[in-house]
Amino acid sequence: MDATEGISRANTVVALTGCALFGAVAGVVGTFVLARRRALLADVAAHASLPGVCLAFLAGEALGLGGRTPWLLLAGGSLSALLATWCVPHLSRLRGVGPDGALAVSLSFFFGLGAVLLSSIQSHESGAQGGLNHLLFGSAAATTRADLLMLAVLALVVLAVVAMLFKELAAIAFDEMHARVLGLPVRRLDLVLLALLVASVVAGMQVAGIVLVVAMIVAPAATARLLPGSLTTVIALAASIGAGCAVCGVLLSLRYESLPTGSAMTLCAGALFMLTTLVLAGRRWRGATPSTPADAAGRAGA
Amino acid sequence: MREFLLLDVPMLVAALMALLACGTLGNWLVLRKESMTGDAIAHAVLPGLVAGFLVAGRHSLVAMFTGAACAGVAAILLAGWIRRTARLEAGAALGIVFTTFFALGVALLETQGARQIDLDPNCVLFGALETLFYVPPEAGSWIAGVPRPLWTLAAAAAASVTLSLLASKELTALAFDAEHARATGIVPRWLEPALLFTVSMVVVASFEAVGSLLVVALLACPSLIAAPHATRIGPRFAISLGAGAAITVVGHFLAAYAPRALGAHAALNAAGMIALLLAAAVPLSFALRAALNRRQA
Repeated sequence: MDATEGISRANTVVALTGCALFGAVAGVVGTFVLARRRALLADVAAHASLPGVCLAFLAGEALGLGGRTPWLLLAGGSLSALLATWCVPHLSRLRGVGPDGALAVSLSFFFGLGAVLLSSIQSHESGAQGGLNHLLFGSAAATTRADLLMLAVLALVVLAVVAMLFKELAAIAFDEMHARVLGLPVRRLDLVLLALLVASVVAGMQVAGIVLVVAMIVAPAATARLLPGSLTTVIALAASIGAGCAVCGVLLSLRYESLPTGSAMTLCAGALFMLTTLVLAGRRWRGATPSTPADAAGRAGA
Repeated sequence: MREFLLLDVPMLVAALMALLACGTLGNWLVLRKESMTGDAIAHAVLPGLVAGFLVAGRHSLVAMFTGAACAGVAAILLAGWIRRTARLEAGAALGIVFTTFFALGVALLETQGARQIDLDPNCVLFGALETLFYVPPEAGSWIAGVPRPLWTLAAAAAASVTLSLLASKELTALAFDAEHARATGIVPRWLEPALLFTVSMVVVASFEAVGSLLVVALLACPSLIAAPHATRIGPRFAISLGAGAAITVVGHFLAAYAPRALGAHAALNAAGMIALLLAAAVPLSFALRAALNRRQA
């Protein structure tokens, strides 16, 4: 599809607003996900939404709603992503599997199922035009207005939930012991965080793509964490960095037609993170060179 | 029969050799709790691979391996540096590095590569097993018709089996108690980098044919299938490769013939089918062990 044709259909301003919202949400949720050490789980959740999306596509065709009904794809993707993240702790409890193996097994199963279903949809005549191909690497130009509306609604809901449960989520993310002492329902809050993660992943599916959406969750939050400030500052920074990278990504992918939006966003976010780390390292090096690693950690902690 | 020899056999041989290459090394990675490192490498080598192809053309194996090895090693070093400098947990550091590298690879592929080197991002993820058929050469020996990825896979399988056999004692020490092994000097210092290097080579050789998804599954799952049944290294390797091979064959035929039995024409994605069966076999294998233990008790 021609990018200009796509963008005139879902006009540029709407597309950019939608993507900026997604970037902001990814940054906010990413801050909590990163603090709770769930970066790779986010990767698995994103990949695992593929089979659900494919099944929803097939269901939509069968029901005569058309394969690309946004809310149906969203529901399918969220369900299978939730199922995959639910499997991970159960698998990692098996002797010798561990958290690492559990992630790999869950990823293989769900993404493998997705590959099989996708190949069956592509062999279907209508599948070729269905646009499910864009879901792998993302395409802002191929997003419809309905998609963007859905994205915006989802983003606002996620932000509202974070605002309402801010203190509780911050407690479990940054100091779980403290949260337990306060008597907070840690397991239930953990589920809320998981739901927020899945919601932001499926929201970003259309524009950032299933394969690379995790970069938008992790990288802006990691960049913001490098900069000094209180938790609210860090979250605000993560949101603005996420939004900025998303907008840059969309603009780049509109400028260079064949560049997938997901790749462009990921490159922006990754490059910004590495640049910030480099500047930080340079500054630390120019200051008094720490004699021992422990010394360095102590200074940074202060 | 002829169809089977020309179409199914090359695909099966490719998948089984990828299993031998990845499954063997995967045992060491799983024992070291580094299953997701394989995933990271499988994504990170892409820009190097594409750059190698762009510089030297689609058929230059040297360029492909040099590029990919550089990218793989650079990604691992970069992740380590980020972990220390930004004090990020290992998973997040790996996550940022491998997605950025993969995004760069996809961008190169889509903007530069698609026309020059026929490799599309879908194949990078889900493999191109279906394209590995045997074309009988019109003249000369039968060897000329063997698809090129089969040779790279054979070399990868040979490399990973050789490393595992030659250094099995040292790798075992490293897998079970790395601190102790390093401190007492049982293990030469080059062994850990050598293992990582071999993993990147094997990943590159495999993923052109089977895709990054199946590479991840082949690295992690066979070893985990064997985990509940074997405590010693030898039996663990035997069970993982045996069970892995059986599942690979079943997956291949299920993908190729199940849709035909249901009346559809096209085949399903074989790499995805094998990956999904391998992953499903892991909890089943643990359940089987539990059932056997209950009967013995």
